[in-house]
Amino acid sequence: MKQKRDVQQGTLALMVLKTLDVLGPLHGYGIARRIEQISGDLLSVNQGTLYPVLLRLEQEGAIASEWGPSENNRRARFYRLTHTGRKLLETEKRDWEQSAAIVARFFEVKAEDLI
Amino acid sequence: MRALTRIRNFATARRGDQRLREELEQHLAMQTEENIRAGMPPEEARRQARLKLGAVEAVREGYHAEESFPSVDGLLQDARYALRQLRGSPGFTLTAVLTLALGIGANTAVFTLTHALLLRTLPVRQPGELVRLAIDLSATRADARDVPLNLPIIEAIQKQSRSMHDVFAWCVYDFPFRDGSFNGGIHGTIVSGNAFQALGTRPAAGRLLTPADDQPGGGSDGLAAVISYRIWVNRYHADSSIIGRHITVTDHAATIVGVAPAGFEGVIAAEHPDIYLPLEFQAALYGEPAKHDGGRLWLETFARLNPSVSRAEAAAEMNSLFPHILDATLPPAMRHLPVIEKARIEVKPARTGWSKLRMQYTEPLLLLQLMVGAVLLICCGNLSGLFLARASARRHEFAIRGALGAGRLRLMRQLFVECLMLALPGALVGVGLAWMAGPWILHMLGNAEAEEAISMQPNPTVLWVTVACAVFCALVFGMAPAWTASHISEEAALRSSHPRTSAGGARLRNFFVPFQLALSLVLVVVAGLLGTTVARLLTEDSGYRTDNVIFALTDFLRIPQKGDALVALYRRMAERMEELPGVEQASVASIAPFLGWRWADEFVATENMQHARPVEAMQNIIAAHYFSAVGIRIVAGRDLENSDSDSNSCVVSEAAARLYFPHGSALGKTLRSIVHDRTGIDSFRDYQIVGIVQDTKYDSLRESPPPIVYIPLSTGNEGQTNGGSALFFVVHARSMSAARSAYLTTLHEMASSSPEIPPMDFNQTLRDSASRERLLSVLSGFFALLGLLLSGIGIYGQVAWNVTRRTSEIGVRMALGATRAKVFALVMRQVISLLTIGVLAGGIAAIFAAHCVRSFLFEVKPGNPWVFALSAVALVLIGVFAALLPARRAISIDPMQALRTE
Repeated sequence: MKQKRDVQQGTLALMVLKTLDVLGPLHGYGIARRIEQISGDLLSVNQGTLYPVLLRLEQEGAIASEWGPSENNRRARFYRLTHTGRKLLETEKRDWEQSAAIVARFFEVKAEDLI
Repeated sequence: MRALTRIRNFATARRGDQRLREELEQHLAMQTEENIRAGMPPEEARRQARLKLGAVEAVREGYHAEESFPSVDGLLQDARYALRQLRGSPGFTLTAVLTLALGIGANTAVFTLTHALLLRTLPVRQPGELVRLAIDLSATRADARDVPLNLPIIEAIQKQSRSMHDVFAWCVYDFPFRDGSFNGGIHGTIVSGNAFQALGTRPAAGRLLTPADDQPGGGSDGLAAVISYRIWVNRYHADSSIIGRHITVTDHAATIVGVAPAGFEGVIAAEHPDIYLPLEFQAALYGEPAKHDGGRLWLETFARLNPSVSRAEAAAEMNSLFPHILDATLPPAMRHLPVIEKARIEVKPARTGWSKLRMQYTEPLLLLQLMVGAVLLICCGNLSGLFLARASARRHEFAIRGALGAGRLRLMRQLFVECLMLALPGALVGVGLAWMAGPWILHMLGNAEAEEAISMQPNPTVLWVTVACAVFCALVFGMAPAWTASHISEEAALRSSHPRTSAGGARLRNFFVPFQLALSLVLVVVAGLLGTTVARLLTEDSGYRTDNVIFALTDFLRIPQKGDALVALYRRMAERMEELPGVEQASVASIAPFLGWRWADEFVATENMQHARPVEAMQNIIAAHYFSAVGIRIVAGRDLENSDSDSNSCVVSEAAARLYFPHGSALGKTLRSIVHDRTGIDSFRDYQIVGIVQDTKYDSLRESPPPIVYIPLSTGNEGQTNGGSALFFVVHARSMSAARSAYLTTLHEMASSSPEIPPMDFNQTLRDSASRERLLSVLSGFFALLGLLLSGIGIYGQVAWNVTRRTSEIGVRMALGATRAKVFALVMRQVISLLTIGVLAGGIAAIFAAHCVRSFLFEVKPGNPWVFALSAVALVLIGVFAALLPARRAISIDPMQALRTE
């Protein structure tokens, strides 16, 4: 079996932002589940590590949080994207696509193209 | 923004703990529900949820890290934990702190001295620009370096140099001082008028000296004096109204014009002047020509480099200017002496000022610094061993913490903090020890002036170095245990039932003990060699009788009699002393042995002038009874007499007789002295040898007795008395007190205007001439003992730990029939192998070390087999002795008990 990869902190933050962007306000468990589902179990999130990342994003002002009732009527802390967070996501997304495109182009190059 | 939040969080100690705990609980609950929905039994569902969440403690720490300042926070936490750990094992803590206190204290003590003498930066403006100018005569005389300058040379340099400015002169003086009811000596200095401006010093009160004060007759305040901050506070209670007060220095009226700033001690290290007077004071004392005398070298000289000029450039400029400067300043007769022709000017850095003591003590201090460094390493070795033992006992703990998610670095940091918690108190105690040992170390310098002036109080630099020392220790002795601790396999450690059976770090420990032993052996060998040197020096036959003999330096500069009248006065005073009760003999001499003064001239036998070249011999000018006063036996002929009929006679030592008259007796022959003085290069004077005396040493115990020619103190020979500044009275009496009182009585009777210079005990002078070696041998001996003691503790720790670790094994062996003797041999075999490696490695290192210190040795070869053998024996004895205690415990192991605890 191939070992699952650890998620890097920066990437995790980006995933969190995108998840909140798509699904709206969500609690920690929900975010973790979502990331797990989308990555198709390829990424093992040591789920606890999500919480320090959430705190950091909140301190940076990218997300905001408040207590609220969960689906089964528990008290849970819900996170939502702020205006700053949305802008941050936009720039991060652009950066990411750019670097991905560059790397992709490198992979497409064949030896004869370079001559 | 984020930083602000963090600061607020840190300051208010607000912890998001509550929130995190709640969120994680929710998270677990939701995951568990989901797992149950997927069909897991509740127990399993909860377990899987926990596994998925990961190490909660690590998450919590990561969370805190985001919340506040992680490093400070973590360090505080580590410190609290370490404190708990150490409190739990007070014996270990005490041993460690004391070991460190000794190691660090030794370093602090030596460094305090090194700092005071060699490293303290002067508290002046831009100290890096300061340079010292000195004449180097070493091309012709091996020991003549760092010779001072004089005023004409300094003025010429000031005028002509393009690479330096603010050239100023400094000369240390002791003055008789009177102010109201106070009447006594004061330690001071005379400086050129620009000295304070050149240093950029600001007064604490009033003003400092200026070039205007250094004019003939003084400035507007007459003879201006600046006092030190110290006496301003101690004697004048920091009263500003003392500015303008009239005082008397050496019978001259002077006016206090200002106070030097606090902490300013001038530019001579290990001196503490309390009064600063302009150079003009020299003219007031001895006449204007004395100040401008071009033939005498007496002024320490400093200057500032111009911006962007290097020292090498300044030195090159100086040496191109120097011949012209000498042409202009030296009396023509001296100008072309070989020693002057080859003289060079040296430009040396003076950021730290200068001290004569540096010539003598720089190398010994560096050697001592190395030795205490070795002691510190031995300490670290000991603690490393102790810590490794603890680390292996604490494997369980480390494994648990690792399992809870503590990273490798985190574990290492925690151990490092624990080491630091030992090292810092150790350093604190060490500073205390160093402070207490300070006066004792200073006393061994054998220099009363320096003893008074050098402060062994810890200062900020010394404290910083001590703290650095402590951190270094913590890193060194914490490294090995931290490394082992962080490489513990968690599963294996947790499974192992008996923490004692683990061998973690055993290999490392087996390295530390021989390492310590080797270092100790080096220390002991070096100390042994230095100790032998001192013993040889002090039992060396100097040729003199030193008991109940004093040498008293005279300062008759201000006595009206000059020339022949002064000679007559010296003779009369010596005769008067001999009349006083208790005095056996009294005489006069121009050189007191063993003060490091040499005076050599060239002589040749007149009967042999065609064949022999003039050869140098040491000289001394003496009056009658000198030989009997210092116990030199007259081998042939007679003593010199205090009469003018003897003014062309001389007495030679046996070595001189052999040198100049290798064939036949020297008695009655004539010796020609080739005098290089100011009257002409080749002037000479003939002396008839009337006596031959036994050989003696001259200025150092290390040399073999040189040829010495004794010339009578006689009339018609004005240079001999040097104006009355350079002759000693020699008094031999039935007791020291009789000798002293005879000298003082005569001085008061016949030369009452002269200052009283405390006479020197000849015995003490002789001993002090070996003070450098004494300091080295006593301190190195102490450090060697410390090294031995620490190594002993190291061996004890190692063997005891091994016995504990192998308790069950030994139990099994005994149960299978091993005798006590066999068990004893088992334990001792390990010690012997440690000792063998240590002694071999140490022996090789000691050969190198002994070679490095050979310049300090006297009458003992660096490879002296006795010193090496005895040192090795001492080390082995200590090692075996230290191992006996744990070995006894090993043979008293009860097999049943040992097996049951397994």
